[in-house]
Amino acid sequence: MITIDRVSKTKGRTQILYDVSFEARPGRVTGFLGPNGAGKTSTLRILLGLDRSQSGTALICGRPYPKLDRPLTTVGALLDGSGAHRARTARAHLRWVAASNGLPDSRADEVLEVVGLTGHARKRAGRFSLGMSRRLGLATALLGDPEVLVLDEPVNGLDPAGIRWMREFLRDSAAQGRTVLLSSHLMGELAEIADDVIVIDKGRIVIHGDLAEVTGDHRTLEDAFLALTATEAGGPW
Amino acid sequence: MVSLVRAELRKLLGLPTAWVGLVLGTLLAPVVVLLNAPYTRRAIAAGTLTDTSDLGLRDLGIGLIGPMVLGVIVVSSEYTSTGKDAPGARQLTATLTAVPDRLRLLAAKTTALVLVVAAQASVTAVVTLTLTQVLHGEHVPAPALTRVAAAVLYWTLTALLAYAIALITRNGIVPLTLLIINSSVVSVSYLLTKVTDLAAYLPDIVGARMFIRGADFPVAIAPVTAGLVMTAWVVALLAVGAVLFQRRDV
Repeated sequence: MITIDRVSKTKGRTQILYDVSFEARPGRVTGFLGPNGAGKTSTLRILLGLDRSQSGTALICGRPYPKLDRPLTTVGALLDGSGAHRARTARAHLRWVAASNGLPDSRADEVLEVVGLTGHARKRAGRFSLGMSRRLGLATALLGDPEVLVLDEPVNGLDPAGIRWMREFLRDSAAQGRTVLLSSHLMGELAEIADDVIVIDKGRIVIHGDLAEVTGDHRTLEDAFLALTATEAGGPW
Repeated sequence: MVSLVRAELRKLLGLPTAWVGLVLGTLLAPVVVLLNAPYTRRAIAAGTLTDTSDLGLRDLGIGLIGPMVLGVIVVSSEYTSTGKDAPGARQLTATLTAVPDRLRLLAAKTTALVLVVAAQASVTAVVTLTLTQVLHGEHVPAPALTRVAAAVLYWTLTALLAYAIALITRNGIVPLTLLIINSSVVSVSYLLTKVTDLAAYLPDIVGARMFIRGADFPVAIAPVTAGLVMTAWVVALLAVGAVLFQRRDV
């Protein structure tokens, strides 16, 4: 369970989040949708204790992330990149992360197998392709077998087979009762897997509900999204 | 906390650059003693080198590049971009999601660094001083154990100094360039001692007074005072680094 309550954030002189509130519930895939720069990543980074908000609370299972004991056993997070230093092998990276949360070394090889990187365990992270980096990032997130998954643009850089794999993996995770929160700017992708959808634009939540509610009278989630975020065709690009 | 320190030790020792620091730092001083041996022998025989009590201990200085590299990369490796696909992505994200309590994380990092550098310094000091004894034994008194311990402490504090500066600058190039140039090419700190006696209290200068006895020094500072002054520098810079690290967005 993820509860974000009236989170506001200012960077320099610009306010980038305005009273952002939403929930992500167990057993459901919650899609966090918004154009680039809308505040998705900032919200997730505040949720994970990486950035600080000026006001509001962001809780995971009722506690702020920094108060979680051995947090990887509760939350798995996938942000930009793999998080592995370029000079480290995939296995060495996973082993130090495991050690920091009191998890056994054997978990490293287990999660490498889950994400299909067993054959690359001894390869340095700096030599990974974008898709492999995402998989290594996901493997890191899965080390503690967490009940909550927080993923920032998880399908970025994946090939079609990887995208399908990720989709099935996230659906299965939710079916097993996990809370899955993922951000994306890809409407079509999100419509395929999300049970609930939150739309953010210019730092404000514009709508929050299940997929059918958010789509409403629009033909697709994409139409609804474009109407809600008032992006004109041919506008920003 | 033990598992955190173990994780930080693994992280540090898993970096190729750390091994450059370990190998260079450990080998440089003994190699210099070996290379200088003929010159030192001649100087002693000619009577131009009369005060031999610092011999060996003084040679340890060149190896300080090791603790400097180690201290800096403990921090800078967290801030290095993890790849061209995601230029903003850094290991620090993985580190802080695994260990979100930043002060505990710093405590673990500091402990890991101290363990590695103290071990390196002990090995280097023993090897360098033994080598000095073997080569020039009849002319050089065996140094007191407290002086050897002080040299190990100096190395450890130097690593912590580099580490604290890197915490403040969040990058490896600036502190490493400054420290290495200052300790090898042009010692700005040493030049400053020619301008003002106060410069004798700069951390790198004062720290060496813990175990070097040589007389070419403007102010008399007792070894214990020297140790306390250098420790105060390190504690102050670490405190600044820790506050910044605690407050900054990643």
